[in-house]
This record gives sequence, C-alpha cells and structure tokens, in this order.
Amino acid sequence: MTPYEYLRIAFDALAANKIRAALTMLGVIIGVASVIMLVAIGEGARTYIRTELMGIGTNLLIIVPGKTETTGMGRIPSGIQKLTLGDMRALEKRATLIPAMTAVVVSNAPVKYGNRMRNVEIIGVDQNFEAVRNLHVEIGSFVTKADVDARRRVAVIGRTVRAELFGEANPLGRMVKIGETKFRVIGIMEKKGVTLGMDIDDHVFIPVETAQEIFDQEGLTNIITQVINEKEIERAKQQIRAVLMERHAGEEDFTMVSQQAMLSTMQTILTTFTYVLGGIASISLLVGGIGIMNIMLVSVRERTREIGLRKAIGASQRDILLQFVIESVTLSVAGGVIGIAFGAGVAYGVKAAFPVIPVDVSAWSVLTAFSFAFMVGAFFGIYPAMKASRLNPIEALRYE
Amino acid sequence: MMDTTAAPLIQLESVTKVYTTGAIRYEVLKGIDLAVRRGEYLALTGASGSGKSTLLNILGCLDVPTSGHYRLAGEEVSRKTDLELAHIRNRLFGFVFQSFNLLSRYTAEENVALPMTYGGLGRRERLEKSRRLLARVGLGDFTRHYPTELSGGMQQRVAIARALANDPAVLFADEPTGNLDSKTGMEIITLFGQLNTEGVTLIVVTHDTRVASHARRVLSLSDGRIIKDEQNTVVEST
Ligand SMILES: Nc1ncnc2c1ncn2[C@@H]1O[C@H](COP(=O)(O)OP(=O)(O)O)[C@@H](O)[C@H]1O
Ligand SMILES: [Mg+2]
Repeated sequence: MTPYEYLRIAFDALAANKIRAALTMLGVIIGVASVIMLVAIGEGARTYIRTELMGIGTNLLIIVPGKTETTGMGRIPSGIQKLTLGDMRALEKRATLIPAMTAVVVSNAPVKYGNRMRNVEIIGVDQNFEAVRNLHVEIGSFVTKADVDARRRVAVIGRTVRAELFGEANPLGRMVKIGETKFRVIGIMEKKGVTLGMDIDDHVFIPVETAQEIFDQEGLTNIITQVINEKEIERAKQQIRAVLMERHAGEEDFTMVSQQAMLSTMQTILTTFTYVLGGIASISLLVGGIGIMNIMLVSVRERTREIGLRKAIGASQRDILLQFVIESVTLSVAGGVIGIAFGAGVAYGVKAAFPVIPVDVSAWSVLTAFSFAFMVGAFFGIYPAMKASRLNPIEALRYE
Repeated sequence: MMDTTAAPLIQLESVTKVYTTGAIRYEVLKGIDLAVRRGEYLALTGASGSGKSTLLNILGCLDVPTSGHYRLAGEEVSRKTDLELAHIRNRLFGFVFQSFNLLSRYTAEENVALPMTYGGLGRRERLEKSRRLLARVGLGDFTRHYPTELSGGMQQRVAIARALANDPAVLFADEPTGNLDSKTGMEIITLFGQLNTEGVTLIVVTHDTRVASHARRVLSLSDGRIIKDEQNTVVEST
C-alpha cells in the first residue's frame, strides 16, 4: 500500500468521529500554539532589547553618582560627592582606555516658540556626545567645544520638538525660550524614534555648562564613556575607579554601568524565559500525546472487528501498525498545524497592537513545533498501533 | 472443473485445535485429515459446537492449528511469515462471514475495493473492478449505498463481491445464509453454484441442508472429528 492509501484510511476514520478527533487534537493545539506564540513574542522582545542596546554601543560605560550596592544593604554613604566636569577632565587625562567620553546633565523645562509650548527633557551635552552616543545632527550643526566653553545659549532640537513648535517652518536661527532663557536653534537631530523607552526625538540638546548654569546644577547627571573595545571594559573600570576615588577622598561614591552587563542580564532573563517556555511546551505536548494515546486505545478497541476484518481480507501486521500510527500522526500533525496557525495569529495580533516589539514567527520555531507534533503522534501512537496489529483476526472478528 | 489428477491444493494431516481457558482444555479439533482439490465445492456440516468454524478458520489461514500439518499447494503453512499469510488471505482466499462484516463508513463499492487496497491496485481501477463485481452479484445499482441502506441479502452479496475482489482460488464461507431468509438464502446458494462452475473452489460451513445439497462433497463433523465424507451423486441443479 502507498503512504497515500494509509493517509486516506486515517482521514476516513477520523472524519467518522470529527468531534472526538477535534477534542483529541486540542492538547496538541494548545501546546503548539502557546509555544509558537510565546517564542515569537520572546524572540521579539530579545531582538528589541538587543538592537536597543546595540544601538547605544556595547563598549559604553556609564558613570552615575552614588553607590548602588549590589550585595546586601551595604554601608551608609558618608558624604556623597557629585560627579563634576573636573572629574571628567581628570578621566580624559588619565584613563587611557577611554578615548572618548561625554558629560551629560538632564533636566526638564518648558520650551517655547511664539505661542507654542512643549515640556521636554533638556540634555546638557558637550561636543563628544554625537560620537559617543551615535546620535547625529541632520540639519545645521551640533554643540561645539566653543559653545560649551563660552556657555553659549544655543540649542539642537529633536524631530518631535521641531514639529510641535515650528510645524513646517525652518527653525534654524530662530530663538526659543527654555524656561526663561532664550536660545538660538543651531541644529536639528536626525530622526531616531523611541529607544529604551525614551523618545530621542523629543529632546533638546544644549551645551553642558550652559545647562549647569541655567538649571543651577554643579554636578553631572552622568558621564558616558566609550571604552577602547569591549574586552577592556573591566580594566577601564579599574582606571576610572582609581582616578575618581583619588578625587573623592578614597570614597567609591559612584557607580559604573556597562551596556555589556545590561545586555548579558537581559540575555540571562530571556534564556531562562525560553527554558520555562520549553518546559511548558514539553508538558503540554506530553499531555496532548497521552490524550492521543488514550483515544487511539479506545479507537483500537472500538474497531476491533474492523481490524479483524482487514486482517481476514489481507492486511498484514505491518499494514495495521502503519494504519494506526499514521492515524495518530495525522491527529497530532493536524493539531500542530492548527496550533501553529493559531499561535502565529495571536503573535501577529500582538505585533499589530504593540508595533515596537518586532514579533516574528521564526521558521525554526514552526519547524520545531511541527516536528515535535509529528514525533508526539508517532511516539504515542506506536503502543495502540502495536496492540492493534497483534490482534488475532478470529478473536477480533468475534469481538462484540 | 474438478481436477482429480493434480496434487491437492489444501492438505490437512492430523490437525488438532485445543483451547485452554484457565485449567480447562477444550479439544475442539481431534485429528483432522483432509484433502481439497482445486475446483471442489465442499460443504462442512455438523451440530453446533462440533468445530466447523474452527476448522474453516484454520483452512482460511485465519487461525493456526495446535498440532498437525497444513500444506497449501504443497507448502507448510506454519512456516510462513505474517506477510506471506496476509498475502495468501489477500490473493488466494476470499472469506464470507455469517454476519457480513462490512465497514459501515464505506459505501458498497468501497467495501468491495478493500482487499484490492491491500493488493496494491490503484483507487480508480479498484472502484471500477468493484462496480463490475457488484454488477455480477446483482447490485449494479447500489454501488454508492452504505451497508445500512441495504437489506441483509444485499449486504451478504456485497460481502461476496468483496471476497471475490482479488479473484481468489478458494472461497470460504461460514454460515453465509444463516442470517438471511430462505428466499435470499437461495439466491446466495445460486450465486455460489455459478462461482463454482467458473472454477472457484468453495468451502462452505452450513447446517442449511439446501446449501449442502448443492455441494459436490459433504463433510460431517461431530465433536471435532470428521465422521462422514461423501460425494453428492445427485447435485441439485442451480
Ligand atoms: N477462542 C475459544 N476459546 C475457547 N473455546 C472456543 C474458542 N473458540 C471456539 N471455542 C469452542 O470450540 C467449540 C467449537 O466451536 P466452533 O468451531 O465455533 O463450532 P461450530 O462452528 O461448529 O459451531 C465450541 O465449543 C466453542 O465454544
Ligand atoms: Mg460456527
């Protein structure tokens, strides 16, 4: 008999009991659908976080004031010192593994142009910010060293700010009010969109010392440093620690956050997530498989006479075995296909609802789900099929 | 028709069949010697429980003897593999049961086509042939009917058509008229007569005396032994 013939018999048998077939498939459908769905969303989240962090650069090391203890409560800080431009100058001189760094002051203020106003995050930066953060000006120019040193009142605005305040008008050379201070617009940033939950386009950049002056801040919000390469991050940390502790009276009152560390933490979380998913998937497929085995055993019992008859008219043990294995594989694979379709549907629904998460049903997850469904059918179908194939034809025909 | 010179197609030698249920042994067949040649029309008669069905099942390779020899066309059946036996049941033998044993989810033509499926014939050829066979048993107009839509006599004729699907050399029938009224039973008997005329070897278990009277040879079983083996001199014409 050709494989097609077995398949036909399987379909006929399953079609004769549609509701039962559907209920039996449910276990596999739920298992496969949840895997497809969650893997797609998980992968989407992973890709999202990775590209976000990669966009910032994996060799970045951010220094923030204050000590975040990672072990226990730690000691009570004795006189936290601010992170200052002086600290940065010292690092520029002595931290040889850090070729580039930029000082950042972050604050909030209303920005006004004519009668339009918008509350935006104002970022005080220096001339290195563009290169270190990989964010670039598109029209006009960025903040220069001279702007910083002379504490000029110049501003580079993001796309959203531009659209909100100026509409179609050209902002270059115009005066905007940040708080109560007038600034001249010298540049417009390229469109960047949302990264790490921050809308880069909704920012205004001004010289760092100007920011300190108008917001009356001595310290810096953070210093973003760019380590020579990823491998040197640990040594770069040592250099920073040495320089800053010397300047801070031996106190380590600052924290260094590497993108590397964030990335690997995220990866660990997502890997755990994937294992948990795998566990859920295996359990639901196992349950689905047991359901299939159960129904196949019932089916073999119910069709005892049919099996006897088939043997009497020339079916071999192999024919009967294949017939029932193919029937159970048909069940599980059909469940798998429905599950894949269903899971993918939900995943793409999530994508439609949350476009920032790049949900994608990957070929490998479909393939894996499909082959697992197939294997579940084959594995759990074998025992009932063997039982069927070994029936004595006469006893089977006599079965009531 | 009957070839008396050739070696017998079927040969049994001191065949026994013992069933053990718990501690009790039932010796259902107690040493059967039997030779059947090609083209014979044999009726197996005897009281209920005398072992007729058991013997027929062994002859049809659906069951195996407890001891003794069964040679089919000179070859020892006990040495055959499951695949060889399946092939014999499929190609060489046809089986008709008292309770028809049609599969209810298949139409008449699909039921008849079943043995051809295992015989490896394509679907279209199978259905063509099963329609021819159904026409031959007088059911040319019922090919697409399901068994439940047919009368008992019609169902048995479908079963006969199915038994003939792969042009078997031997047709086995166990009480084929047992579930039918006498008129439809007679139709089946007539059909058997025709088949035998066409060269099919027939072995029919029956306690219907009319069936027996149409056979050329009548065997009587009693308590697991053959007590009579006679040639019918006057065969009822069909
Ligand atoms: N599987 C079995 N187990 C035990 N006893 C059986 C079995 N099959 C048949 N028998 C017994 O064997 C005897 C002969 O049965 P059977 O060949 O069906 O007789 P017949 O067809 O002549 O009525 C009966 O007594 C029956 O109960
Ligand atoms: Mg009987």
